Amino acid sequence: MNAVKGIAARLGRDLLVFVVVIALLALAPLFLTRFELGIAVQMLLFALLAVAWNVMGGYAGQFSFGHAAYFGIGAYISAYLVIHGGVSPWVGMLPGAALAALLGLLIGYLSFHYGLKGVFFALVTFAFAEMLHLLTTNLSPLNGSTGLNIPLISGSSWVMIQFPLGSANYYYVILLLLAFSLLVVMLLMRSRPGYFINALREDEEAAAALGIDPLRYKLLASAISAALTALGGAFYAQYLLYINPDLAFGATVSIQILLPAILGGVRTIWGPVVGAFIITLLGQATVALVHTPPPFLSALAGRSGLDVMLYGLVLILIIVLVPQGIFGAIRARARP
Amino acid sequence: MSARGGVWQRSFAVSRKTWLLVGSGCIVLLLLIWAGSGTAWGRASYPVLLQALITGLLLGGVYSLVSMGLTLIFGVLDIINFAHGALMALAMYAAYLLVTFAAFNPYLSLLITVPLLFLLGFVLQRFVINRIMGQPAENQLLLTFGLALLVENALLLIFTGTPKALPAPFAQSSLHLLGAVVDIPRLIAFAGSLLLAGVLYFLLSRTTIGTAVRAVAENAQGAAMVGIDVRTIYALAFGLGTACVGAAGALVAPFLSLDPTVGEQFTIIAFVVVVLGGMGNVAGAFLGGLIIGLLQEIGGAFFPNINKLLIVFLVFVLLLLLRPQGLLGRKA
Amino acid sequence: MASPPFATQRHARTKQPGALLRRSGAAIFLLVVILVTAACGGTSGSSNGSGSSSTPRVIKIGSIHPLTGALAGDGKQMDEAVRMAIDDINAAGGIKSLGGAKLAIDSVDTQGDPNVAQSEAQRLVNDGVAAMVGTYQSDATAEVAKIAERARIPLVIDVTAADDIMQQGYQFSFRIQPNATAMGTYGARYLKAISDAAGSPVKTVAYIHEESDFGTSVFKAFQAEAAKEGIQVVKEIKYNAFNVSDLTLELTQLKAANPDVIAATGYYKDSLLVAQNAASVMPNVKAMYGVANGAFDLPQFPKDAGKAGSFYFSSNYHWNALSSDANKIRSEFQAQYNDEMRTPAVFSYVAVQVIANALERARSTDAQALRNAIAQTSLNTSIFPFSGPIEFDSHGENKNAQPILMQVQNGSVMQVYPDQYAQARPIFPATPWSGGTK
Repeated sequence: MNAVKGIAARLGRDLLVFVVVIALLALAPLFLTRFELGIAVQMLLFALLAVAWNVMGGYAGQFSFGHAAYFGIGAYISAYLVIHGGVSPWVGMLPGAALAALLGLLIGYLSFHYGLKGVFFALVTFAFAEMLHLLTTNLSPLNGSTGLNIPLISGSSWVMIQFPLGSANYYYVILLLLAFSLLVVMLLMRSRPGYFINALREDEEAAAALGIDPLRYKLLASAISAALTALGGAFYAQYLLYINPDLAFGATVSIQILLPAILGGVRTIWGPVVGAFIITLLGQATVALVHTPPPFLSALAGRSGLDVMLYGLVLILIIVLVPQGIFGAIRARARP
Repeated sequence: MSARGGVWQRSFAVSRKTWLLVGSGCIVLLLLIWAGSGTAWGRASYPVLLQALITGLLLGGVYSLVSMGLTLIFGVLDIINFAHGALMALAMYAAYLLVTFAAFNPYLSLLITVPLLFLLGFVLQRFVINRIMGQPAENQLLLTFGLALLVENALLLIFTGTPKALPAPFAQSSLHLLGAVVDIPRLIAFAGSLLLAGVLYFLLSRTTIGTAVRAVAENAQGAAMVGIDVRTIYALAFGLGTACVGAAGALVAPFLSLDPTVGEQFTIIAFVVVVLGGMGNVAGAFLGGLIIGLLQEIGGAFFPNINKLLIVFLVFVLLLLLRPQGLLGRKA
Repeated sequence: MASPPFATQRHARTKQPGALLRRSGAAIFLLVVILVTAACGGTSGSSNGSGSSSTPRVIKIGSIHPLTGALAGDGKQMDEAVRMAIDDINAAGGIKSLGGAKLAIDSVDTQGDPNVAQSEAQRLVNDGVAAMVGTYQSDATAEVAKIAERARIPLVIDVTAADDIMQQGYQFSFRIQPNATAMGTYGARYLKAISDAAGSPVKTVAYIHEESDFGTSVFKAFQAEAAKEGIQVVKEIKYNAFNVSDLTLELTQLKAANPDVIAATGYYKDSLLVAQNAASVMPNVKAMYGVANGAFDLPQFPKDAGKAGSFYFSSNYHWNALSSDANKIRSEFQAQYNDEMRTPAVFSYVAVQVIANALERARSTDAQALRNAIAQTSLNTSIFPFSGPIEFDSHGENKNAQPILMQVQNGSVMQVYPDQYAQARPIFPATPWSGGTK
């Protein structure tokens, strides 16, 4: 009880907002059609991944361009264990998260040791993700580029995280994972290590001079970020019932993970969630626009590329006009 | 930034020591080949190895072409231009249009693609990218990423995704050199790469504008204080970088199939080359491109069952860890 | 360091007046969420169900293909072919056993992305389609097949080669085209047949293929069958189709292995590159032989490759050039869409025919009944040069699907084998650089 009180005290208003948001999100299935529910599941997944990325890329200031590595590890390990061992993905998430965390630690350690920052760090993470991509394409135990198919089971199973098509339970599972991640991130950033992480990002030399061990806290951020991302990967494999090297480790995956965080506002708890929301809406809106365009654009109806063009254009506009992210901007405006 | 050396180093300098190393490396390689031809294995593998060498150099020439512009942009503006490959695709399609509808010789299309891409880059930087100068790297990366999406999908919209090729005659001629094959269009691209490196050197070291560019790259504030219009120089430098990629596009169009995403593979490799050569170092990018091309092909000859790119990325990671300033940069 | 820095920071934070506004920022966000979801709810797609046993007037057929993105070229054709097939069937009286019920298309876009394919397939299910046709892309099809299985709605795959999709034990997916294994197997058989017939038997093959599942499974099947026929694969070279720009070295390596024939499996761009680079390397082979090759039998290939494409063989799926039905459909397509109908679109057309045929026999749009009717299909069609009528085995694969052998002769793609489908005789041995003699 004291522990709960302690947590509540520390998180304060954050916890209140958290409870309200999660409660409201939990009600969403009542209002959404099956198709929209599917979109909502993907949105929450991106929110989870962006929140996870934010720990490393936002708060710790280590811009990772290869988070697909952790995502893919989580997806593959969970899928492999389900297929070959009948292991519940809830359990299978754990070794995935652990291995991802280890990789995060390795990359973090190497980068620190060799003094890689900024663009160089980003490129190293990208290179690792690409190498995993190329490796899995050629590994036959993992079925190479064919990918892994998770066997269908009839009926509903919370243990195996497999439900009938369109079931709201998928939504609840990802909401649970998202809530868990948000709690972890909030607890982390409002705790001592969290303040140290912030301090190290702001000015590493000064923080180090004050006795904060840069390596230790950077590694902490890396490990947590990687582990949470892997959880998302494991869920994704279960949702799609399929995983292959492109879906797991592709460069687009890395970009899709970090985009919501930046658009929503890095270094905020809710920014990545808002970003995921916006990006999903944007994606759906551009598709709808292209398939049923307003009269003045009818000449372009159904032509390939228009929707992604719009998407790119809006991206550019957001970066130019709202560089601290949408949520970041709202928050900044709220401050005097 | 540990990779930034002095401006002179960044724009061009390749130390005498490096030339010596490269030269002696080549001599050693040739000696090995000659000696190797004495053995049975050598004789059997000789055609393959020689081809690997030649293809590696020619491919490397293409990589150099694409990377020199990228490194210039990074050197002066500190921006990793994610849209580099997309702009190259744009240049290729421009060349395609000129060849198909205006009966241009593809190499003459250089006269159009280079100024066109220069103008495009200049305008882009001046009115869009300039607004985010000085912001964190992630924002810049995402901006250029959005730009890449925009350009690629505009191409998709206009030209559709069906692969296109320039009319056949241009791709077909080849030389036969000591048992290996040298495609003439690729040779021309290689020569173009050399020429471009030379032109850039001349521009950057012998002209007033070039000096201004170097000054801004070294110290923007200082340059402003001596009266250099930094904003224009930024736009100019970016335009120069995109002009390079405009040349690259026109030079490779004769032998590469066009589709809107054709530039993507080159963006990634250009990143590797730019790091290898030292960010901002144009000569480094030229040499780095050749090295990556050679690595890819010779690695492919010796290890035919390993993905060629895997070798490149492994080397890339090692490079980043052990010598992030690249082969030719200086440690700050 | 008097007191830990974080304590003061936190103290300052809770005293900030902005904290209250920050909370309202989050509240505004929530409000937006609710409003938008409510709005979306208002515009959700209607789903007039295809009832279980009543006789509906309109039966929806889902068409799920990449309409945007890099694969849109073929995807759009396939979608258009589905439309055309539906129009043709309706014009001929619709589904007569269901009182002349008309078919209608429900067309969605996978965007070339399996994630999107999954949600779009869901959309089709919600819209109450009786069956689905798609998708052209292996991983998207894998997803849609799963949806089809879970929703118990039949999926007729028009084009997708990957073997393992049909090995998952799905009951609701059916495939018309020859799969990757069939492609490789027949490829080897045809090679043996024509080389023996020409009095120039082939003993060794060097094989270059793209490294993903597609190229690898076709290769493995080829290798296995070739071994049975006494042909040995002496060299295998893989490449990544997405970042290859020069295959000269690979072709030199193949040349060095001294094979009788070089075989190639890949997509359009890379296969064109093979032809172009081979023209420079000029390996001393009897023929260049495509297996399930994405370029060698396309009408565009002789134009793009020019002389370098002469005499190239292609063992691949293809519509039957000798069939008047096929030609009729293709000219209809040309007239309606001003585009030359390629093989994938022809498969989409026939897929709709399969569904219509099954609806006639099922006399119902009930999913299980329709599925059973499709499983019992025996549809004679001359549109494809198959070895028999379209009939599905227990895995849902078309038992009689087969590729045919074609060759580029005088700038056109001609069918050359099996004899019953041949438009011209195979010219063997022949390569572009040997000028047709060797």
